[in-house]
Amino acid sequence: MAFRWSRWSPQLALVPAVAVTAVAFVGAIIWTIYLSLTRSRRLPEYEIDWSEPLRQYTRLFADDAWAISLKNLIILGLGSALAIVFGFILAAMMDKEKRGESLFRTVFLYPLAVSLIVTGTAWRWLFNPEFGVEHALHSIGLTWINFSWLASGETAMYGVILASVWQSSGFYMALMLAGLKSINSEIWSAARLDGVSLFRLYTEIIIPMMKFTFVTCAILLSLGVIKAYDVIVAMTNGGPGQSTFVPAYFTIQALSAKGNLGFASAAAVMMLVITAVIFLPLVMLTAWQQRRTGRAAH
Amino acid sequence: MAQKTLGAEIAVRSAPYFPRQKKRISSRSIGIIVFLSICALFFCIPLYVVVITSFKTMDQIREGAMFALPNVWTLEAWDHAWNSACSGINCNGLKVGFWNSVQILFPSLILSIGISMITGYALALWNVRWAGGFLFLLFICAFVPFQIIMFPLISMTAAIKVYGNIWGVAIIHAVLAMPVLTLIFRNYYKDIPQEIMNAAVMDSGSFWKIFTEIILPMSGNILIVVLIMQITSIWNDYLIGVTFGGMGSQPMTVNLANLITISTGTTRYNDNMAAALQTAIPPLVIYFFVGKLFVQGITAGAIKG
Repeated sequence: MAFRWSRWSPQLALVPAVAVTAVAFVGAIIWTIYLSLTRSRRLPEYEIDWSEPLRQYTRLFADDAWAISLKNLIILGLGSALAIVFGFILAAMMDKEKRGESLFRTVFLYPLAVSLIVTGTAWRWLFNPEFGVEHALHSIGLTWINFSWLASGETAMYGVILASVWQSSGFYMALMLAGLKSINSEIWSAARLDGVSLFRLYTEIIIPMMKFTFVTCAILLSLGVIKAYDVIVAMTNGGPGQSTFVPAYFTIQALSAKGNLGFASAAAVMMLVITAVIFLPLVMLTAWQQRRTGRAAH
Repeated sequence: MAQKTLGAEIAVRSAPYFPRQKKRISSRSIGIIVFLSICALFFCIPLYVVVITSFKTMDQIREGAMFALPNVWTLEAWDHAWNSACSGINCNGLKVGFWNSVQILFPSLILSIGISMITGYALALWNVRWAGGFLFLLFICAFVPFQIIMFPLISMTAAIKVYGNIWGVAIIHAVLAMPVLTLIFRNYYKDIPQEIMNAAVMDSGSFWKIFTEIILPMSGNILIVVLIMQITSIWNDYLIGVTFGGMGSQPMTVNLANLITISTGTTRYNDNMAAALQTAIPPLVIYFFVGKLFVQGITAGAIKG
């Protein structure tokens, strides 16, 4: 009896997790994909009009706000990539100069501990056109500076980018610092003996050695950018107009504000497709890395 | 304290590498420290502005000197944000959201960590034939955007009558955290030597007995890291709270977002900043006390997840 229990217990213990995965993830994804093929509006309808099953997708790609969302996704992705560059510079400097490392690390990472809603609130205030940084700069005579970025549709996205970079640079700094510390310390002394300049040492040796870290950062960044929602809500709420719409915001807007279920489902499916496109290289990269470390172990 | 031990560690480590460096600081070091200090300033400015604004009166804020210290330090905005700030039609302040967040936090933690720990243990140490495939599926689930499962989850929680209350929010937190946490626990447990497991099984240890008597006492380190990671992510969550929390059960972040985005009449910026700080203080306190574990948690979550 006891023997049989010990044999079946592991399987039984896995039931909740398997059920959650099957229902809340796999089942829910299939459900949403199915809904995206229907004409559902506020309430779900389960009939597919087979003459035009992709009508929601046709509507989606004809929608101006969706086009803005995709464009903003790319802008946000490219802009936020500055966080990786910035993070690397910070990590490289902290790696070379050990004094104050703990203090700097604490300062660079604290934005990560707070909610993006709080981050958004703080930056919204800094960008305030009436009393914000712009006003402070103008009052000391720097009247040519325009810093009320969120007030105009053309610059609002850059405001979001600045807040995102501020929030996430510390995270990439931590990843890069871990990568830098794993580099064999003999390289530094060897390079010094050979008289290689510091710039060449970084661009030609260190950065290529850390390509795995860089690719990981880039993929994490892309996945984070697709999920960007909170910071948009707190800083701009999609505005001015629709100028700071991103796919995550667009989808929830379509579902909750417009009550357009089929349409929102189509947008959600597109988000999944974008995630998959980014995700695939990560899987391949992980497999490649595992094979490499596996080979090194032999 | 952590800083001191780290300093000592660095002193020991760097001694053999830089034998020539004595007491003088090279100009390169000064340059680096100056640069890093400027960057640190950039990171601190938003916090500084938020803190001082929260202690100002609206009269002083209207004068426009954003970076100036308060003329009169007042707790008026803190009191107002906590007790009478409006979120939608309810004007009972952020304290409502604070207690909701606390009530959401505990069941979420117990559910998410409980399920993930046992699943990770079963997958890592017991012979489950489909473990590999299931782990891969979990790995994929960890990256799925929330929007694609949002409507089905709303329907499901409505069907089991938890939509719009604290339990709904807590259950969804547990569901969404499950894949990542399971992977973290599984990766931790798989390094336990097989000999220990063999001995335990020989000793007629059952699945649950081994878990409670051997595995659980060994899990202290990872449990603390996961706990910190989960506390901050649940506390800081907005999307799940706003989607699944009903009118009276929304977490603090939702109250804050409502306060700053939907404001009728003149915006009271000092209230907004005090509210933001009140929302940020719990995770910040955790961060400043156990920062190292926090960083471990987010990097583990990011890479494994």
